[in-house]
Amino acid sequence: MNAALAVIRKDLRVVWRDRVGWLTTGAFATASVLTYTFAFDLVSGDVRPLLPGVLWTTFLFAGIFASSQAFQREVEQGTLDAMLISPVPASVVFLAKVLSSVMALLVIEVALLVLATILFDTTLITLELTLIVLVGTAGYVSLTTLLSTMGSQLNSRAMILPVLALPLLVPMLIGAVRATGAALDLPAGTAPWTLLLVVFAAWSSLAGALLFPLAVER
Amino acid sequence: MSALARPFVPLAYWGFEHRWQLLPPLTGVAMLALIAGALIAAPREAVEGEVQRIFYIHLPVIAASYLAFTVVFVASVVVLWKRDMRWDAVARSAATVGVLFTALTLVTGAIWGKPIWGVWWAWEARLITTLLLFLIYGGYLLVRSMAAPNDEQAARYAAVFAVIGFLDIPLIHMSTRWWRTLHPDAIVLRARPALPVEMLVVLLVGLIAVTLLALWLLVLRAETERMSQRTLSLRAELDRREGI
Repeated sequence: MNAALAVIRKDLRVVWRDRVGWLTTGAFATASVLTYTFAFDLVSGDVRPLLPGVLWTTFLFAGIFASSQAFQREVEQGTLDAMLISPVPASVVFLAKVLSSVMALLVIEVALLVLATILFDTTLITLELTLIVLVGTAGYVSLTTLLSTMGSQLNSRAMILPVLALPLLVPMLIGAVRATGAALDLPAGTAPWTLLLVVFAAWSSLAGALLFPLAVER
Repeated sequence: MSALARPFVPLAYWGFEHRWQLLPPLTGVAMLALIAGALIAAPREAVEGEVQRIFYIHLPVIAASYLAFTVVFVASVVVLWKRDMRWDAVARSAATVGVLFTALTLVTGAIWGKPIWGVWWAWEARLITTLLLFLIYGGYLLVRSMAAPNDEQAARYAAVFAVIGFLDIPLIHMSTRWWRTLHPDAIVLRARPALPVEMLVVLLVGLIAVTLLALWLLVLRAETERMSQRTLSLRAELDRREGI
């Protein structure tokens, strides 16, 4: 347990030391919201039907952008190898990485929600929406973190991660957009979107924790 | 092994040993039977007309691609479990066959869809799932081909991706079906009445022919993969010895 806490502390410290990288992710997300504003003309007319899609594609692309670097430094400096021969289970190494990435991304995402609340005059900071964002983020970060280990040795990793991740993330995107829409009182059908989101998050973190040790062992 | 299966073991060995004598002629005969059956023997469908005949290719091809993706999944599990590179060759070749066949499914479906539905493509759960399967396993082939055929680490990464991709299929299908229920379907899928016997026989011939073709391609591709793995390993071994 102490070892697991130590790994989590290490990952949080890594996030803090790489704050310029995370700030870049946040800047990228802000810039893409502006891009959507001009591309879909979010200013005139009712913005709410488009808002869930705009927010989630931004979160997803920012998350993939950040995840492609997740293990990069650790692979380059040999930290990952050291972690894997330490007495900590590899699943813990994975889950600590997911947890720290989710926390960093959550800060960016909540900041974006605040920004969108101001820009589009729509209340986005509610407990329900924050929970949806948390569960959705946990779902996609587990998958992209697992897949980013795959690319960390390849030269074209920045390109391969979205190609691999986006088709797999379709269920999560559908669930997240619809659940967010329902939270904004948009017609979202009768399907249990939040349940889909929870199932996806549970599935991807479980699959990641089980498969990560197999993917990285030497 | 059960006593019932025992007599078939020598038969399976015999079949594998003579695969190059058996598979090409069997596939050829079955494919000719399928073409003759689909174009001549099968009756003209009353509502859809001649274009319905593409169904005898379309359905067997999608069935064979699901079979191929199941082989990818099983072979990938064995790669992770036994660390045997022969299974990586099997997984990779099955993925190639599956991607080829999902592409054929999408093309034949579009050719059928244009005259019957009036559109090449419809945003319907089964179609979206097929397209995503094509993209997922295309991605698998891309990421696997970026590393050398005998790279064990890359083989394990690709196997992990294949396992994740296979387990994602039910989620994808479910979510796209729910997604579609929000918009009323532009095209109402007609309930297909029970097929007449002639059509059923041609369909069965098609399933056999296409499965044989898939098997032939798979074996051919797997042995090529295996040979390039061995060539690279031998070359590495040679370099190592000359270095001493």
